Amino acid sequence: MILQRTLTTLGARSMAVARDAGGVFVLLLEVLRSLVPPSMDGRELMRNLYKMGYRSVPIVVLTALFVGALMVVQLAAFVKQFGATALVGWGTGYAVFREVGPILIGLMFSGRVGANNTAELATMTVTDQIDGLQALAIDPIRYLVVPRVLAMIVCLVALTVIGDLVALIGAMAMSQVVLDIHPLTLWYSLVDNLSTADFLHGVYKSMVFGAAIALSSCYFGLTVKGGAVGVGRAVNAAVVGAAVSICFLDFLMTYLTA
Amino acid sequence: MIALRGLHKAFGGRPVLAGVDLEVSRGEVLFVIGTSGVGKSVTIKHLVGLLRVDAGEIWLDGARIDALPERAYAAIRRRVAMVFQSSTLFDSMTIAENVALPLRKHGRLRMAEALADARRRLVEVGLGEFADRWPAELSDGMRKRAAIARALTLDPEVVLFDEPTTGLDPINARRVDRLIRALADERGVTAIVVSHDLASIFSTADRIAFLYQGGVRMCGTPAEVQASADPVVQQFITGRSSGPMETPGF
Repeated sequence: MILQRTLTTLGARSMAVARDAGGVFVLLLEVLRSLVPPSMDGRELMRNLYKMGYRSVPIVVLTALFVGALMVVQLAAFVKQFGATALVGWGTGYAVFREVGPILIGLMFSGRVGANNTAELATMTVTDQIDGLQALAIDPIRYLVVPRVLAMIVCLVALTVIGDLVALIGAMAMSQVVLDIHPLTLWYSLVDNLSTADFLHGVYKSMVFGAAIALSSCYFGLTVKGGAVGVGRAVNAAVVGAAVSICFLDFLMTYLTA
Repeated sequence: MIALRGLHKAFGGRPVLAGVDLEVSRGEVLFVIGTSGVGKSVTIKHLVGLLRVDAGEIWLDGARIDALPERAYAAIRRRVAMVFQSSTLFDSMTIAENVALPLRKHGRLRMAEALADARRRLVEVGLGEFADRWPAELSDGMRKRAAIARALTLDPEVVLFDEPTTGLDPINARRVDRLIRALADERGVTAIVVSHDLASIFSTADRIAFLYQGGVRMCGTPAEVQASADPVVQQFITGRSSGPMETPGF
């Protein structure tokens, strides 16, 4: 009896996950179809770029500064033990550019921007504003979703680049304080040991993460059911969906390029 | 102009429409009435493709439209506008920007031109001085009038009103009635109005369709409906709580 109930629950949850994954994929296809011919509401794009990108800069800068500093604090014991001062820049840059920067800023972006986007679209859905848009012969995918997807990709790439640079500044400052390493030493360690590919690896990841966050947040926002309670559930599902997608896609991209 | 033939629609296995037949002529004001949950809003949402029929046909000016793909519905929606019960003004835009949106998207007007046109249209519905307010700052009646102004921006041939006077005080309700009547009389716009408001129904309608148990129980002029001997129709228009239409639990 317990086994049957467990299997039933497992089956139902698996079906729900498969339905949502399929829904996000269908939304991706609709977004791609809406790009041909390319036409987009410029005002909606600019509004989203400002709201999602510009207003996220302070929190990204603050977080990245501490992350960069933290990397050096974690490395400090190892560096002191082996005198490996020449590797501090490489270690910090490698970790920040390829993994920590895109993942951490992606997750923060999902929590701040993705959740907000889901809540906004879900509220529009439960108050019939999406139906209202359709009744005005305006395609919600083209008008609402496409600008949001593009804005999130552009913003997350820009924020990741900003975050990477700020994390390095944090690392330079902390290495001077705890390891007495001159910032230029850390910089040379970085440029001598890392290639442009290491930096671009993180940029590519942030593009993919931006698309995943955008599609997840738009899908759950547009398919919400059940009023205010439904809006809360949609935000929750979107943030969880985006976090899982980020981790899965990160693994996939790292594994395929290793 | 509009014909619904054998319209069927069910939600989660529960039939709501079970063979609705209805015809509407150009320039006519048709009120669709009936108890809550009988499928009035569901019926009119089919006309703009917000819901798709399970079975049946919808014809607009001799062309069948129920089987059109979603993209093809854009052309229909420019001819058939809809004013929702909840107004559906966009929270992130001012009233003028709301009205300017379809002008900007379909009229291919620049923002400044669209806003100027929107302000002119808002003056027509008595909201000129509220053009720069947010929807949340207006009363229900003002929001309804703004929604009507927005729905009329594309000069539609048909306007569907979903409970346009619900929640309004009697004065604002009669203003909305006058607006609907004027659209039909002065511009030749066909109006299909879902309503429970008896004062509105009998003062504004050319014809009334009474929905009951998934179909059209009666369709006629206000005088014909008032003179009907059907006990179900009589119970509804007199608002008696007891009669053939008993609601379980009440």
